[in-house]
Amino acid sequence: MWSSALRIFDLSLGQMLWSRRSVFLGLVAGGPVVLAVTLRLAEISGVLFTGNRPGPSGGIIYGMIIWLIYVRFLVPVLGVFYGTSLIADEIEDRTLTYLFTRPIQRAAVIVGKYLAYLVCTVLLLLPSVVIVFFLVVPLGEGGSIARLFPTLLTDLGMLVLGLAAYGALFAFVGARLKRPLLVGLLFALGWEPIALLAPGYLKRLTVAYYLQALVMHDMPQEGLRGALLQAFREVPPLSTSLIGLAVIVGVGLWLAGRTVERREYVLEQ
Amino acid sequence: MGIVDARHLSKWYGQVIGLNDVTLAVPPGITGLLGPNGAGKSTFMKLMTGQLKPSQGDITVFGEPIWGNPALYFRIGFCPEQDAFYERMTGLEWVTALVRLNGVGEAEANRLARRALELVELTSVGDKKIGAYSKGMRQRVKMAQALVHDPELIVLDEPLSGMDPIVRRKTIRMIKEWGRQGKSIVVSSHILHEIEAMTANILLISQGRILAEGDVHQIRELIDEHPHTVHIRAERTRALAREFLAYDDVLSLKFEDDAVVVETGRPDIFYARLTELAASGALGVIHEVTSPDDNLQAVFQYLVKS
Repeated sequence: MWSSALRIFDLSLGQMLWSRRSVFLGLVAGGPVVLAVTLRLAEISGVLFTGNRPGPSGGIIYGMIIWLIYVRFLVPVLGVFYGTSLIADEIEDRTLTYLFTRPIQRAAVIVGKYLAYLVCTVLLLLPSVVIVFFLVVPLGEGGSIARLFPTLLTDLGMLVLGLAAYGALFAFVGARLKRPLLVGLLFALGWEPIALLAPGYLKRLTVAYYLQALVMHDMPQEGLRGALLQAFREVPPLSTSLIGLAVIVGVGLWLAGRTVERREYVLEQ
Repeated sequence: MGIVDARHLSKWYGQVIGLNDVTLAVPPGITGLLGPNGAGKSTFMKLMTGQLKPSQGDITVFGEPIWGNPALYFRIGFCPEQDAFYERMTGLEWVTALVRLNGVGEAEANRLARRALELVELTSVGDKKIGAYSKGMRQRVKMAQALVHDPELIVLDEPLSGMDPIVRRKTIRMIKEWGRQGKSIVVSSHILHEIEAMTANILLISQGRILAEGDVHQIRELIDEHPHTVHIRAERTRALAREFLAYDDVLSLKFEDDAVVVETGRPDIFYARLTELAASGALGVIHEVTSPDDNLQAVFQYLVKS
């Protein structure tokens, strides 16, 4: 199973990296870099942090970018676009036949493609985070790259876990449903923000709930913005979070593999 | 017991019947599966290669159920009808990557892929991207991936579709050679003359049912009573048309974009002449020869009525 999955990984990675999807999502992942460059230029030109009241430090801004752009938007979006397409692309391109008529378990196909997804999205996302870190942290007063560097490493690990969890969930959605992209987007951009705001246990049915415990940044405590961030930021203990994410990855992949093993995929001629 | 055995095999797609209560045994050797588009050929081939699960009945290959039995794919090679590839890969990379899924190491996979490309006469373009291949090359590289692991049973779904006459002739020769080497081959087409050139053993399929099994020649007599339409996409269609007008068997001619459409009363003779013409190159390049399945449909309607 694992050796077959690795061969599928070999076959899929190049296809995935150079796909139009990767070009598009690479541009999207470049968005925070553009923002960071803009902030840096604004500071250099004296537009940022003017007046009597000091602005937030670079570390705080970096934390907000991680929180609002990466954790709440980019990671779920990458998970949705890639995860739901692992099988759907092969169906749409009508190339699934070549994989399903080889002496490998069908589940190996989805596992191999999932691994390729993980490598591909890590390569797309993590460089962007590193660049943003080095551009944004020195902004304002008190931003120390050396002091916050361990946070960068934690963030990178947290984002990889997020990509793993969303990818596994949406791999299952993609293997199971006919319109997986729509369902995935509804889940990531509709259900998750609502469930996180709702009182009670609903938030436990999101990936973000478990992921946000791993975000180590201080958030501004004042104003509406701070209140909103805090409302979103109800977090479980670290151990619960890690177990939750591991369960999502394991169960998601198992269900995806099981679905692919059992389901017929009728390709249009 | 045959290489492939179907018992009361049916397949439905929702309300649509793809295959209806088929019981048959495919013998060793080359078997032609003949039927118009939508007859159930591809459905039968997908069931035979374990891509679809029977709705009713069962199908076995080499005596074992094929659905959910990946180990059988060591013994089966499948060339699908669809013109679908990883376009950015070269032919060699693609065939190598696919045979690696059979558990073969990188070096051995590369060797097997080169051998398969040689068998389908694509060695010279093995390092070119598939996206740059002609239709005939694309058909042959699909065949290469089907036979790269030296399977006992090769299933070819419309392998000659869209090929020019010369490549078509070469491919037919190739398939017959594999048959002579002891491989079992199931090949589908909606053109009787293609099947006839490869084997005398046919399965006639229409509307999801097997209408007839056995010798091709009786069917051929029937089909020859019907005019046969051939669609030829070529460099110099007007010159070709002038040539065709001199043939006794040509009943009518018309032009469509970059193609000439010929109706012939003797398709066997017409195809033979066309192949010679393409080989000589006297009237320019013939890119593609196709035959709409209306020809066969007429015969099938006749068979079904009788």
